[in-house]
Amino acid sequence: MHSFTKNFLRGIIRSNPTFILLLGLCPTLAVSTSLDNAVGMSVAFTCVLLASNIIISLIRNHVPVRVRIPVFIVIIATLVTIVDLMLQGFIPALSKSLGMYIPLIVVNCIILGRAEAFASKNSTTNSIADALGIGIGFAWAMILISLIRQLLGTGKLDLFGRHLFTVPGLGDNPVAIFLLPMGAFFVIGVLLALFRWMGVSTGE
Amino acid sequence: MGTRTNGFFPVIFLTLIVFISVAALTLTDAITKDKIELAKEDEIARMLITLFPQMDGFTYDEQNDLYIPLAEQQPLGHAFMAEQSGYSGVISILVGLEPDTTLRGIRIIFQQETPGLGAKIVESFFLQQFPGLAVDDIKLTKEGGKVDAITGATTSSSAVVEGVRKAILDKLNQLGRET
Repeated sequence: MHSFTKNFLRGIIRSNPTFILLLGLCPTLAVSTSLDNAVGMSVAFTCVLLASNIIISLIRNHVPVRVRIPVFIVIIATLVTIVDLMLQGFIPALSKSLGMYIPLIVVNCIILGRAEAFASKNSTTNSIADALGIGIGFAWAMILISLIRQLLGTGKLDLFGRHLFTVPGLGDNPVAIFLLPMGAFFVIGVLLALFRWMGVSTGE
Repeated sequence: MGTRTNGFFPVIFLTLIVFISVAALTLTDAITKDKIELAKEDEIARMLITLFPQMDGFTYDEQNDLYIPLAEQQPLGHAFMAEQSGYSGVISILVGLEPDTTLRGIRIIFQQETPGLGAKIVESFFLQQFPGLAVDDIKLTKEGGKVDAITGATTSSSAVVEGVRKAILDKLNQLGRET
């Protein structure tokens, strides 16, 4: 159980996929324009990562080394397509708002990275811990970035159609640049600098 | 990792994985196909009713790709889909026409424009400019039309306006009517 907790906690801060490993930044920057998107993307991402880690750790002793990457990619692509179809069928509103970013989870290097670096070398239990930890690490990073971008860029906070509050002074005159791609770079750059300054580093 | 790395084993293994993947996807498609169709129909029906509030049903004319809203079996006008590339990705627009082919109004069915800027094309302050416009007036103000662009989102506004105008012209042509 000790290693389960260790593998679970590692992804949240010390190996945070976004702020420490700097992996999967493309979807992170593109989708983090609203809190709804961040939550939806994090849930879809964690589902795919969990399923991919479980399957790959189960077959890890049978996969021929030379075809392991194609095998991983086929598995991940299948899982993503299943999630995409399920979202379109059962939660069309979320599917509309995430648009093309769901299919893009296929090429999200965090998932392939965990398959190659962790799930193909560790037991299923530990791979589940790793997937959950990395999933939570990705989720809080996404939520933090999108919270800042949404607050500054629209001047108000809405969550799933419910209006929570308006930032005084920003509501009528938001800084729309934070919703654009360059705003995403500003936010993530400042956050990275902040985490470095606070002394958070890999330790691996 | 497997030890049998030579010979045909890797090829067979990968083929097997692909077959399993195809089976899983076929199954998922079978489960979700009807749901996805239904969700799309629902969305169009929901938008149609906001254009034609008195409608109590609609039929779909497959040959001309037209939605015909009905009230007590009488047609209230026509509606059809328009598509145009916006700032990021395709914008799908539902266009509603009165029986005499003047513009009843438009609704955005799908868009991926920038939130806070281009995404404002779904808001009523923009959409309410359209009802009653003649085809030639469906242009941005600076191009001699009667639609004010959204500040900071000229590309998105222009895409909607152009998409709607072209779609109406095409549809009227197709139906062989004069504007």
